Amino acid sequence: MVDLLPHILNGLTLGLLFALIALGFTMIVGVMEIINLAHGSLFALGAYFALSMLGGSWFGDTAFGAWWLSLSVETRYVAALFVGPLLAAIAGMALELCLRPTYRKAPLYGLLLTFGAALVIEEIIRLGWGTGEQNLAIPSAINGPVLVAGFIYSKYKFFAAGFSLLAIVAVWLFLEKTPYGAIIKAGAHDSEMVRALGYDLSKLRLLVFGFGAALAGLAGIVMVPIWGLRPHVGVDVVIPAFLIIVMGGIGSFWGAVAAALMVGLAVGITGAYAGAWATMSMYILLIVVVGFRSRGLFGRKSVLEN
Amino acid sequence: MISLSDIPSRSTVRHWVPIAVLALALAFAPWWLPTVGLYQYLGIEITIWMIFALGFNLLFGYAGLHSFGHGAYLGIGAYAFGLFQQQVAVSLWGGLAAAIFAAGLAGAVVGAFISHRRGIYYALLTIAFGQVFWFTSMKLHGITGGEDGLLGIPRPPLTFFGLEFSLRDNLALFYLSAFCLLATVLILWRLVHSPFGRVLQALRQNETRARFAGYEVWRFKWAAFVISAMFAGLAGGLFSMAQQSAYPDVMSLHQSGLIVMMVLVGGGLVSFWGPVFGVILYFVTRDVLGGITETWLLWFGLMFMAMVILRPEGLAGMFHLAWNRLRGARAVSTPLTSEPDLAGRKT
Repeated sequence: MVDLLPHILNGLTLGLLFALIALGFTMIVGVMEIINLAHGSLFALGAYFALSMLGGSWFGDTAFGAWWLSLSVETRYVAALFVGPLLAAIAGMALELCLRPTYRKAPLYGLLLTFGAALVIEEIIRLGWGTGEQNLAIPSAINGPVLVAGFIYSKYKFFAAGFSLLAIVAVWLFLEKTPYGAIIKAGAHDSEMVRALGYDLSKLRLLVFGFGAALAGLAGIVMVPIWGLRPHVGVDVVIPAFLIIVMGGIGSFWGAVAAALMVGLAVGITGAYAGAWATMSMYILLIVVVGFRSRGLFGRKSVLEN
Repeated sequence: MISLSDIPSRSTVRHWVPIAVLALALAFAPWWLPTVGLYQYLGIEITIWMIFALGFNLLFGYAGLHSFGHGAYLGIGAYAFGLFQQQVAVSLWGGLAAAIFAAGLAGAVVGAFISHRRGIYYALLTIAFGQVFWFTSMKLHGITGGEDGLLGIPRPPLTFFGLEFSLRDNLALFYLSAFCLLATVLILWRLVHSPFGRVLQALRQNETRARFAGYEVWRFKWAAFVISAMFAGLAGGLFSMAQQSAYPDVMSLHQSGLIVMMVLVGGGLVSFWGPVFGVILYFVTRDVLGGITETWLLWFGLMFMAMVILRPEGLAGMFHLAWNRLRGARAVSTPLTSEPDLAGRKT
């Protein structure tokens, strides 16, 4: 069993990262009952914005660029952690405005529109940043190897996992302990009533979509040093996120976190025995879970079933 | 918005008219394709994708079951055809039968798993199974040749009651796939206008009510999935002949998404002929825009988004409205008829 330990640890880190990706997704699904297939593309956008900020490739020639690049990598990285998600949120809000005409129609149209948006964003990334694989530079403080119980780990993986854990707790506190979270949860539960109480539902949707997109962008910046950055990374990411929220039950916060950890563990442990088939294990897990529980682990009834 | 159910069972337009138009267009394609600046191989591609799209629309448009992993069955058909040629015998009919059978079998197994699910769960399970097939085809190097796929699949000659035609020429292969397309159209046309097709449409409108009316809903969902997978298999068999190879790329999520886009943009939700328009639009856009700019997918994606927002009934719906407006202009005396007509006659 000892030799399984590193794989379990790997799986748990991966699971926490998956949970971070799925958080924004489950929020949008919960409040708006829209499957946002462009979530992965917003993830990629966040990471690419961070890439530009760290490398200064767009404004490197200007006076501001020269000053910016003279700052330390750590400063730029922390700034990117804030500005990247912000830009992703703006892109997400623009997408929400496009989505408005589909709200009165079947959920299929929202799904199709975001599928189209994913295609468009991927092409825009190809245009703006090129088609090749790129690397996000990370500060040396969180880079490099670390020795745990005789095994060599990448320090960054621990940073990413810890960061995800913090973000998950922060989002949970936001949803449970603040009045804003209460409105969001109420919007997911009964949007008519929220409107009747005098809250602006379309503004709420815009902000929730922006918040979800910001979480996607944040996940992108944290995750990409592990996964690599390429234009179609969005598709690689949206499918696991999609799997996780369905497995956890649509609209369930802890369901998504539990499902993400399960998927991470499944991928990690399968990786120990048959590395090539690691990614496949998540699909098998989904088929088994949804085969037995038609609404996922903690799902409740949703219009998306019709 | 109009929908497929607005088609009355006895249409005022004779139903053989569009089929005859399609047959004529296909028969003379080798003459008019080069005249409008296109080429013969495009004809093969378009006919193959039309078979795929029409079969897919039985599931997507008629039964309202949103499969996002349908490329897998096209791929399975392509691999089955190639493996039959390489491992069993070089035979056209055998290969096509193997392609249809293999895709149908995969569809039957997957359909049994997913037919009790609805809505988004159904869509997600089709994605998951599609990814499983895609992954398997990439990883089983010994059988499928891994990421390179099966190469050098022959085009076996067409044998028919002692006659033999070579299919090495693209023109001959075009006529074979055009023939398969016409057969597909005739079979599917019969099917969607049969009681079976009516039940599928009832499922789309209200699955619960269909169940209360006494139909065993999941059997119909299963049958629709299997039939549509079989047509995908046929298309896959022809595809592997056209490409002379079979590779995992056609099974990817990207390809499965493209077929959804084609069917929706064409108007598969409102018309039997929607997928046909959608496939033509996609390939012509690819060739025309692709000649101008490398980022044609960006423009196609933007067009798709605009279509979903503004005209979700697609090209076929737009033609239908334009046709009604034209007729409404002719029948000046009754301006009110244009509204009931909107939900009325459909080709």
